Amino acid sequence: MTRTRILRLKINGHEREVAAEPNAILLDVLREGLGLTGTKRGCDMGTCGCCNVLLDGRPVNSCLVLAWDCEDREITTIEGLLPEDPGALHPLQEAWAETGGSQCGFCSPGFIVTAEALLREDPEPTETRVREALSGNLCRCTGYKKIVEAVLKAARSGRGVEVGS
Amino acid sequence: MTHPHDIPNQPRRLLGKRIPLVDAKRKATGQAVYTDDIRLPGTLVGKILRSPHPHAKILSIDTGKAEALPGVHAVLTGREAPARFGVLPVSQDETALAVDKVRFIGDNVAAVAAEDEATALEALGLIEVEYEPLRAFLDMEQSLEPVPEELRLHTKTVGGTNIHKEVSQEFGEVDRAFEEAAWKKTRDFRFIGVTHAFTEPMCTLAWFDADDRLTIWSATQVPHYLHRALSKVLEMPMHRIRVVRPCVGGGFGGKSDPFPHEMVAALLSRKCRRPVKILFDREEVFYSNHGRHPSKIRFGLAVGKDGTIRALDIDALIDGGAWGSFGVVTTYYNGVLANGPYRVDNFRYHGRRVYTNKPPCGAMRGHGAVNTRFAYEVLLDEAAHDLGLDPAEFRLRNALPPNTKTVNEFRITTSGIRECIERAVEASEWKRKKGNLPFGEGIGIAGGFYISGSALPIHWDDIPQSTVHLKVDLDGGVTIHSMAAEIGQGSDTMLAQIVAEVLGLDIGFCRVRTHDTDTAPIDLGSYSSRVTFMAGNAARQAAENLRARLLRAAADLTGYPVEVFVLREGEAVNVTRPEIRVPYLEAVRRAMKECGALQATGSYRSPPMGGKFKGAAAGLSPTYSFQAFVAQLKVDLETGKPRVLDVWAAHDCGRALNPLAVEGQIEGSVHMGLGQVLSEAFLYNGGNVLNPNLCDYRTLSPTETPRIHPILVETNDPEGPFGAKECGEGPLLPVLPAVANALYDAIGVRFYELPITADRVFRALERQRKRRAVKDLAAR
Amino acid sequence: MILPAFELHHPTRLPELLELCRTLRAEGRDFDFVAGGTDVLPNYKNRLNPKGDLISLARLEGFDEIETNRIGARARIADLATSSVLGEHWPGLVEAARSIASPTLRNLGTVGGNLCLDTRCHYFNQSEFWRRSKGYCLKADGEDCLVVPQKKICYATYSGDLAPVFLVLDAVLDLAGPQGERSMPLREFYAFDGIRRFRKEPDEICLRIRIPKESEGLRTGYRKLRARDVLEYPVMGVAMGLRVAEGAVRDLRVAVTGSEAIPLHYGDLDLGNGIPPGEEGAEAVKRALLEWVKTYRNVPFPPGYRRAMAGEFGRELFMTLVSA
Repeated sequence: MTRTRILRLKINGHEREVAAEPNAILLDVLREGLGLTGTKRGCDMGTCGCCNVLLDGRPVNSCLVLAWDCEDREITTIEGLLPEDPGALHPLQEAWAETGGSQCGFCSPGFIVTAEALLREDPEPTETRVREALSGNLCRCTGYKKIVEAVLKAARSGRGVEVGS
Repeated sequence: MTHPHDIPNQPRRLLGKRIPLVDAKRKATGQAVYTDDIRLPGTLVGKILRSPHPHAKILSIDTGKAEALPGVHAVLTGREAPARFGVLPVSQDETALAVDKVRFIGDNVAAVAAEDEATALEALGLIEVEYEPLRAFLDMEQSLEPVPEELRLHTKTVGGTNIHKEVSQEFGEVDRAFEEAAWKKTRDFRFIGVTHAFTEPMCTLAWFDADDRLTIWSATQVPHYLHRALSKVLEMPMHRIRVVRPCVGGGFGGKSDPFPHEMVAALLSRKCRRPVKILFDREEVFYSNHGRHPSKIRFGLAVGKDGTIRALDIDALIDGGAWGSFGVVTTYYNGVLANGPYRVDNFRYHGRRVYTNKPPCGAMRGHGAVNTRFAYEVLLDEAAHDLGLDPAEFRLRNALPPNTKTVNEFRITTSGIRECIERAVEASEWKRKKGNLPFGEGIGIAGGFYISGSALPIHWDDIPQSTVHLKVDLDGGVTIHSMAAEIGQGSDTMLAQIVAEVLGLDIGFCRVRTHDTDTAPIDLGSYSSRVTFMAGNAARQAAENLRARLLRAAADLTGYPVEVFVLREGEAVNVTRPEIRVPYLEAVRRAMKECGALQATGSYRSPPMGGKFKGAAAGLSPTYSFQAFVAQLKVDLETGKPRVLDVWAAHDCGRALNPLAVEGQIEGSVHMGLGQVLSEAFLYNGGNVLNPNLCDYRTLSPTETPRIHPILVETNDPEGPFGAKECGEGPLLPVLPAVANALYDAIGVRFYELPITADRVFRALERQRKRRAVKDLAAR
Repeated sequence: MILPAFELHHPTRLPELLELCRTLRAEGRDFDFVAGGTDVLPNYKNRLNPKGDLISLARLEGFDEIETNRIGARARIADLATSSVLGEHWPGLVEAARSIASPTLRNLGTVGGNLCLDTRCHYFNQSEFWRRSKGYCLKADGEDCLVVPQKKICYATYSGDLAPVFLVLDAVLDLAGPQGERSMPLREFYAFDGIRRFRKEPDEICLRIRIPKESEGLRTGYRKLRARDVLEYPVMGVAMGLRVAEGAVRDLRVAVTGSEAIPLHYGDLDLGNGIPPGEEGAEAVKRALLEWVKTYRNVPFPPGYRRAMAGEFGRELFMTLVSA
C-alpha cells in the first residue's frame, strides 16, 4: 500500500504544498501536481535534459529525482527564471529569443535552466565550457549553434537577475 | 502601369532581416503550450496494448477483466473501428487498432481509458489476447518471395509477394551510355534505418463533448490529413471534427502521418464521453517510427571522357516496415530526385519497397532522397579521383543550369548549384586543403537537390494547396489564419513577415492563428518542404488583396487616384506628393465602412507541369533547392573515431526571407545528417527494436556537433514568395556524402555502408595497415 | 512513465538506517538503497527487479567528504569531476569522473552508486514489454542468459567508470550493515557474475572509499570507449597506474571496466617490474591486454573492436604516463 504525503517544496522562491506518493517523480509533481508545465518530459530516462531544473542551484534531470527527496530543498524551474519586473525576461531568455536558440522550443527550458547554473558559476564561460556544460541536453532542431551563441550572448550582456537564492 | 509596390528589388523592411521567431519568447520562458501541457477537466489516461509478436493472427481478445477494473472507463479493440486509413489515398492500409493480425512488435492491439496511468497500465495487463504466430518477414529479401495469402502483410501487394510498390523508369539510352563511357562503376550501398528523434513524444488529447463534436489536440504536422482520417475512421462528417495543433516539439516528418493513436484517443473519448489523453513514452515513439527507410541501393554511374555525367542506373530495395505510409512516394523519390543538381541525359531507375514485420517507415527530413544522394555523390567522388579531376571542378562541369528541363521533365527555374559550389569551395579554402592535409585529416565535397513542395497534391482534387485568410478589425491587428503547421521551422514567423511586409506594418500587428481547423482554411501541412513556397505565396496574395482595399480607402479619403498610394510604416502614402498620408488605422476604418471587419483571402496552387509518362508526377515541384557542402574532419587513428570539425553549407534558398531562420534550418539539417552518417542507427534484434531510447539511439551531443558555416545563396526564384524557396530539407542531403568523401581524403578508404562508426573506420585502418605491410614485404 | 509502487524511507543517521534494514529484513521485506537515483530509477521504470521498499540516502547525514585519501560514498560525481585536490593526486580518477554520463546526471549520481552500478546488457536494460516479447533473461524474471545461450550465469557488462581507477589505486571500501562495519579491499569486492556482482550483503551500504598511503606518487590515467562524448557507459575502459624509477617502470597496475560482469584488476599484467618506459613496454602492455580482456556481444560496439580498444588504450596510457 502506498501512502500519499503532503510535501513542502520550495519552488521558485515560494513554499508550496503538494500531495505526492512515495514513488512520485519530481517531474510529475511539477507538471501534474503544481501545473508548472514549462518543464518538459522528453525521454523520462535522464538522457535528453528536457526536464532539467535546478535543485539547490544545480541542474538535474527531474525525471530521475524522487519527489520525497526534495523536501526543504530549493527548486528552480524555467518559470522561476522570469524576473519580478513584469514583462521583463531573464537575460538568457532574451538572448535565446533574439539568437534563435529555440526552433520547436521543447528542449529550451531544460537548456536554459542548465545554462543559468553555468553562468552563476562562471559568468564568462568559453564556448568549449558552454558546450560541455550543456552536453547532457539534446536538441534536435538547431544543431546547437544558436543555443551556444545565446548563452555566450547572455554572458556578455552581464549577469542579470539573481533568482531563487 | 507597375504599381509602386511591385517595383522589383526595392528594399524590404522585414523580409531579408534577421527577425526573432514570433513565438520565441513563449518558448524561452516555458509558456509555449504543447499538447501534454493542456489540462481539461476530467481527463482520462489512454494507453495502448501492443503486440509482442512481429507477425501473428489475432485469434481472440477478451477485455472483460479490464472493463471490470474500477477506474476503467472504456476498452477498445480493432473490430470496433475497422475503417482503413493512411496518409496516401493509394495506401489505405492502417486501422486504429489491429483487426485480424498484428504486423510488428509494438503494433496496436487494444486500448483503455482510465482514471490514472497506474489503472490504465493494470487494465492493459488484464486484456487477454490469443495469438497464432506467423512467419515473420524481417529481411527485405524475404519479402520479395511469393507467399500464401495469409503470410502477406497486406491484401494489396505486387504479384503475391510482400512487395508494396515497384517502379521502373528509363529515359535516354542507358545501356549505350554505359558501353561508351570512359569511366563507369556500379556499387552496392547499404543504409540502416534512422528516425526523427524529436524531443516531444507523440501526444494526443481528444474530447468528444456534449455537442457530439470531437475536438482533438495533437502534435501533428498535418492537421488536414488528420482531419480527413478521423472523419473516415470515426465515420463522422469533417464539420463535426475540430483538429487543433498546439505547439509541436519537432516533427521532421515523424508527425506527418495521421496516426493510429490519434484515432484511438478519439474513439475512446467517443466511447466514454470524457477527454482522453494518450502520451507516448519514448519506447512507443520508436514503435511509431515512420523514420527513414533502410535501403540497399545499387548505383551505376557512367562518365564520359570529357568529364560529363553520361548515365545513372539505379536499383533501390527499400524496407517499408509494416505499413504503406508515404512509401509510394518514397519509392519514386529514391530514384527521380537523382535528376539534379547535375545534368543527366540517360537515366534508369528500378525501385521496390517491401513490407516487413517492423515498425513502419515513412517520411523523414530529405524524404526519399538522402540515401540515393549519398551513393551518387560518393561515386562522383570516386570518378573524379580516378579521372584525375578536382571533385569540385567535376561537379561544376556537370551543374544543372537554370531555366531548363531534366530528362524526366522536371521544370528547373532557378538553379544556384554553381554558386553553391563556388562559395563553399572558397569559404572552406578547398583549393589549399584538398589533397594537402596530413594523413587522418580530410576534406570532402558533395552537392544536393530537393523539391520545394510537391507540385501535385496527395489528394487529386481541385482545391488550392494553401489558403490564407486575413482579418482586420477596428483594433487594426491583422489575424492570419492558415493551417500551415508551425513545428519549429518558423512558418508562423514567415507568414507574419510576409503579411506585415506587404501591409507596411510592424510585425507586432500580426497575430498568427495556424492551429485550429474551425477557423483556418485548409493547408496541406508541413511536409515536403512546401510551406514557405506555397503558404508564403498564399499569404502574399491575401495581403496584397487586403492592401488593395486599404489603398482604395486611402484614395477615397483623399481624392487621389489609388495608383499613387503605397502602404509603408503604418501609413498610406501618396508617392507623388509624400505629404499626403493616411494613417493605417484611418484607412482600415474607411475600408470597414461598407462591410465591417475586413477579410481577405489568398491561395496557391502549383502551375501545370511535368511529363505524361507513368510516375511523371513524382518529384515535380514548382522549384528546386540546390546545395553544395564541404566537410572537414579528423580521424582519431587510435580508435578510428571520425570527428567532423567544420561544415561549410552553401544552400540556394531562393531568397532568405529571414536569414536567422534559414541558418537555423541549415544548421539543424547538418546536425541530423551528421547523425545518420556517423552514429544513428535504428537497430533490431530479431523483430525487436534493440535501442528504443535516446541513450542507445545516438543523436549527436553539443560537443560533437562541429562548427557549421551556413552560406546563403540567393537566386530569387520568380515564382517563390519574394523569391524564396525551401530550406528545411535539402540542406540535410549533402552532409552525409561530404563526410564520406572527406574520410576518403583523410585515410584513403571508401565507405559504402552507414553509419560510419569508429569500429568500422578502425577495421578499415587495420586492413589498410595489413595491406601496406604485405606490400612492403613484397617490395623487399 | 510511472515507477512501480514502493514504500520510501528516509533515514537521516547511520544507526537509524541500520535499524531500518534490520526491521525490514525481519518483516521479510526486500529493499534497495537509492542515492542519486540515476541507476536505480531507470531500472525501476523498466520494472527491473523492483523491491517493495526503497531506502533513500538523500537525507543521510555525512559520508559526502572529498579528501585526497578518503571519499564519502554520498559524494556527488560532479564534485569528484571538479575536485582540484583529487586532480592533483589522482588525475585518472578525475578523468574517469568527468567521463560519466552527463554534467546534470553527475550532479545526481554518487560515488557509492557508481561503484555499485548495476551491470548492463542489451537484453536487460529494456522495458517490461520489450523483455516479455523477447523472452525474459535470467537477470530479471527469466531462466537463461540470452547473450550466451543455455548459460545459467549472467554475462551483463559492468559499466562503472570509477571502479577501475580505484582498483588501480588499491582502494579500500568501508561498508556498514546490521552486523556492523567492516572494510574490504575493492579488489576483493567485485565477484561472481552480472547478477550477484559483489561481496556485499544486500543490506550493507558503502560508507566511503579510502586510498592507501602506499598509492601516493602513482601516475594514474583512464581511457574510455564510447560512441558519443557524453551520455555513455564505458563499453571498454582502461585505468592504469605506474611509477617510473631509474629508467624503468615500477609498480604497473592495470584495471578494466566495460568488459566482463565485474571490473577486473589485472595487476601488472604479469609483465613484472622493470618494463622499459617506451614503445617496447607499451606494446607489451597492449599484447597482454589483448590476451586477457574478454568481451561479449551485449553492449554497443562489436566485441572484437572493444577488445582491440583495450589494447590501444593500454598502449596509449602507458606512453602518456611514462612520459608524464
